[in-house]
Amino acid sequence: MSVSNLLENWSKFRHTHPVDDKGHPDWEAYPSDIKWAMSIDLDACTGCNACSVACYAENNLPVVGKEKYSHGQAMHWMRIERYWDETAGVGEFSADQGARFLPMMCQQCEAAPCETVCPVGATNHTEDGLNSQIYNRCIGSRYCSANCPYKVRYFNWYNYPEQENAWPSPLNQQLNPDLTVRTKGVMEKCTFCKQRTYTARNNAKTEGRPVQDSDVQTACQEACPVGAITFGNLFNPESQVAKQWQSQQVELTKEVQDKDEKEGNRLRGYRILEELRPYPSVMYLERVRESAV
Amino acid sequence: MQHILRLFILLVGLFAGTGSYAADAAPKLTTPDDLGPQIEQPIEFPHFRHAGDAKDGGMQINCMYCHTYARRSMVAGIPPVQKCIGCHQSIESVRDKPRIQKLFEYWDAKKPIPWKKVHDLPDFVRFNHERHIQRFYFQQDRPYQEVCGYCHGNVKAMTVAQRQKPLTMGWCASCHQKDHPVSANSTETGHGPNDCFTCHK
Repeated sequence: MSVSNLLENWSKFRHTHPVDDKGHPDWEAYPSDIKWAMSIDLDACTGCNACSVACYAENNLPVVGKEKYSHGQAMHWMRIERYWDETAGVGEFSADQGARFLPMMCQQCEAAPCETVCPVGATNHTEDGLNSQIYNRCIGSRYCSANCPYKVRYFNWYNYPEQENAWPSPLNQQLNPDLTVRTKGVMEKCTFCKQRTYTARNNAKTEGRPVQDSDVQTACQEACPVGAITFGNLFNPESQVAKQWQSQQVELTKEVQDKDEKEGNRLRGYRILEELRPYPSVMYLERVRESAV
Repeated sequence: MQHILRLFILLVGLFAGTGSYAADAAPKLTTPDDLGPQIEQPIEFPHFRHAGDAKDGGMQINCMYCHTYARRSMVAGIPPVQKCIGCHQSIESVRDKPRIQKLFEYWDAKKPIPWKKVHDLPDFVRFNHERHIQRFYFQQDRPYQEVCGYCHGNVKAMTVAQRQKPLTMGWCASCHQKDHPVSANSTETGHGPNDCFTCHK
């Protein structure tokens, strides 16, 4: 068999997308009545980084220091991306409009590219719509990170709690006991504050009622001074996040939103890299600026 | 003669060896003698006297009288010294027993009793007492001694508690895979969550 023959036939066996393998997600048969989702208003975001700091505090993220940061080994589950207008030429940026900010964290995709490539099944889909990451099972192959289109998975290159000065005393006193301090060689990422959603679901179940918006806030949402982040159950039509998604005509099940572009209909909602069909659970809201057109 | 004796010993050893190997090959998830270590506590607390049946000289106190948080929290909780004193200050008959004197020493010194953990799960595991008590005690109406005993064994017959079950993931899963009735008067069944993320944190 020649190489060209091999390459020609390879496309038959290549897996291109999880949806092609498993079929289009059947949202009617969703295993639970909870689907955690988020929406972030970029017009309100000032890029203050409070969400990122709150995430560090809530989720036991190690502070790696300047040198490791420059090697791309920062462990920020939530990072603020900055976008500048490039006007004058390549490499020259005008600050006329200032930077535009984009808080980026795990988008908790419904057809997640990371899940299908894990050789040991350490990342899989939970019934409430999260991409779980099981540290005990992770062997550190980093395939998931390579396959993530958003680059929001972070790898523990060092044993931070023991060898590195990640939490200099007395910072170690504020480590959150509701989740582990990860060890060397495992992948980690945003969990939509699993420990908080777990508590919310638990309390609601004991009281025999569905989860409400008032039950749970993620750490980033709680810290945001301008209230740009909304989090909740997308399947509950009363929740703030479901109302926002609906008013922006963004649907979880669609990779191309058919928005009704009527006059005066100022729709701002979009999801990042929707066309790759990962069906992300985070909607961003941003007014289209003249400079961007 | 010596040769035959040697052969005999060799054969016996061989059989014993393969026999024990066969036993190792398929370990059972729950074995009756799969006990935890004996842990020495600062005061040898007699569980059988407090929670035991009346015929064995026990007081039949509900587990959740002292381990109050079990029904409303992840952890069951160890009672504060105040709780012990609350009853024992008015029980004169046992006041001069060495254990009770030790208890009052801690109370007078305003120091908590440094109890040691007997059922210690790894830090990466999220076990929720509330969910299990809610399901089996409140919804299914089973006796509390049976419900607590699923994981803790027959504590009402023990002095210092000792781990009776392996408390490993396989052991948890062996029960989570079974279907249990949802409530006391219901034929509907359901099993525990088998999602990794629910218990692993």
